Amino acid sequence: MSEPQNVEQLLFIAFGIVAAGGALYAVVTRSLLRSIIALGAFLTAVAGEFYLLAADFLAVVQIFVYVGGIVVLMLFALMLSASGVRHPLAAIDRPALGAALAYSLGAGVLWGSLTTELPAVGELPADAVDALGRALLGSQLWSFELIGVILLASVITALVIVRKERR
Amino acid sequence: MTTAAVTLSSVLFAIGVFGVLTRRNAISLLVSVEIMMNAAIINLAAFSRLYEPEAMTGQVFALVGIGIAACEAAVGLALVLAVYRRFGSTDVDSIDLLKG
Amino acid sequence: MEVSLPLTFAAGLLWGAVAFTIVGALTAGLVLAERKVSARIQGRVGPMHTGPHGALQTIADMIKLVMKEDVRPARADATAFRLGPLLVAVPAVLSLAVIPFGAPLVMRDLNVGVLYFLAIPGVTVIGLLLAGWASYDNYSFLGGLRSSAQFISYEIPRSLTVVTVVMLAGSLSTVDVLEAQRSVPYVVLLPFSFFLYCVTSLAEINRLPFDMPEAESELVAGYHTEYSGFRWALFFLAEYAGFFAAAAFGAVLFLGGGSGPLLPPVVWLAVKTAVLLFIGMWIRFTLPRFRADQLMRLAWKVFLPASLVNLVLAALIMRAVGS
Repeated sequence: MSEPQNVEQLLFIAFGIVAAGGALYAVVTRSLLRSIIALGAFLTAVAGEFYLLAADFLAVVQIFVYVGGIVVLMLFALMLSASGVRHPLAAIDRPALGAALAYSLGAGVLWGSLTTELPAVGELPADAVDALGRALLGSQLWSFELIGVILLASVITALVIVRKERR
Repeated sequence: MTTAAVTLSSVLFAIGVFGVLTRRNAISLLVSVEIMMNAAIINLAAFSRLYEPEAMTGQVFALVGIGIAACEAAVGLALVLAVYRRFGSTDVDSIDLLKG
Repeated sequence: MEVSLPLTFAAGLLWGAVAFTIVGALTAGLVLAERKVSARIQGRVGPMHTGPHGALQTIADMIKLVMKEDVRPARADATAFRLGPLLVAVPAVLSLAVIPFGAPLVMRDLNVGVLYFLAIPGVTVIGLLLAGWASYDNYSFLGGLRSSAQFISYEIPRSLTVVTVVMLAGSLSTVDVLEAQRSVPYVVLLPFSFFLYCVTSLAEINRLPFDMPEAESELVAGYHTEYSGFRWALFFLAEYAGFFAAAAFGAVLFLGGGSGPLLPPVVWLAVKTAVLLFIGMWIRFTLPRFRADQLMRLAWKVFLPASLVNLVLAALIMRAVGS
């Protein structure tokens, strides 16, 4: 194994630790604000993982959509529904039972994915962004169109739901 | 690297499940669901290099996943705001009109 | 290639420090330039006492800011209050990484550079919201909400406008975009895109006539009302770094970047950026401020449809010409 690949693996593990730590903090903290900030850190670390998995485009889209979009939406929702409290807290219900269930489910998933025989890592196209664009408008056109329709539908749904009711 | 990716993905998925099981606040639930979604998307990005790497199927699917997550967050947070307006709380247990 | 990990990290840290220093110097220069330009427009002389013609005024101001006491409101959320300015300043510096300053000075030729430049400032919004929320002050909170709403609204037409450039160049890499403009800069081919880019960029970096977030007459100072000293300086730095980045990126996307006769590319890029920066300052001291509702209406009912029409028309024309 050559040296740069080692650096990549170390970085992968480092980002993984940040991601897992951020995710863990997001679900165990009682403060909603900190939970959302931790989610932001987690999502950024996952973007780093995408970059290391040779998915540059995905990494930037992750920052664009998740960090710049979804986290901001969540902050908005938090601030608009806080009833004047500046540090809203949320309860955690039966953590022991939840941890046991989550642990067994996670262990099952891990066992399943580690025992499955996976093919070797193949060669991605040299110009991955170009190939991705061609796939989106070529062989995978249906999924591209589908996501457009779903986005439109969800925008309309969201607008209808939050519209002020006429009295 | 693939092993590392699927391990990370399983761990993150378990963390997300923990959040969904133990939280009652709607925003916390959405946070947990996003963590689970991301765990799945990491797997898709990793498998993109294993299955049909030249067709980029995995990455296309990951992009679709990110798009779905955006839709889900938009509609979910709209629901949170609507619930807050009617019940004065974002706790999902406060929605109990059907209890009569 | 022998790459040791500690060395990589050391180099990374060094580059980070260098980038921050450059941005700091840029900010000092820009602030001085802005004061001088505004003075000229308003028939004053501007700062004159510190150094020759007031040249050292901003450096003195910076020293003052760094030495100042760091005041935090008693009820403010400490973590979020500290995180806010950092999340505003760091992305502003990071977005400079993909600007091709000329052959030897491209810091990073990402193959998704243009998208990166559009995506990174989105992180700023989180910082603005946190700063406004954590300050425990209604003016700050309103400023934070206003600026993030404005940012998100103008991000959409801005991205759609930049797509026309990407379409024409056929690449998301900033270096390729420059290459494609060798013969004709895109401002000639896409004049309407250039106009839309300039206006939406002004709105995105919160400058007049779109500076709702810190409308002094309404909101004291918007999201940074409660900040002082070094943290306030970070907001200031981010604002000018964003201004510079938007202008430099406009020069790269539409004015052909560093291409030009005789002089080296860096000089040409600097000249073109300076022209855009000057226009930005000129607008600031000439036009009055919009109202918050006018601003949002403008974004959703004028700029969004305009950018969509622009995109479709550009695509149709490209198809018709067929090059």
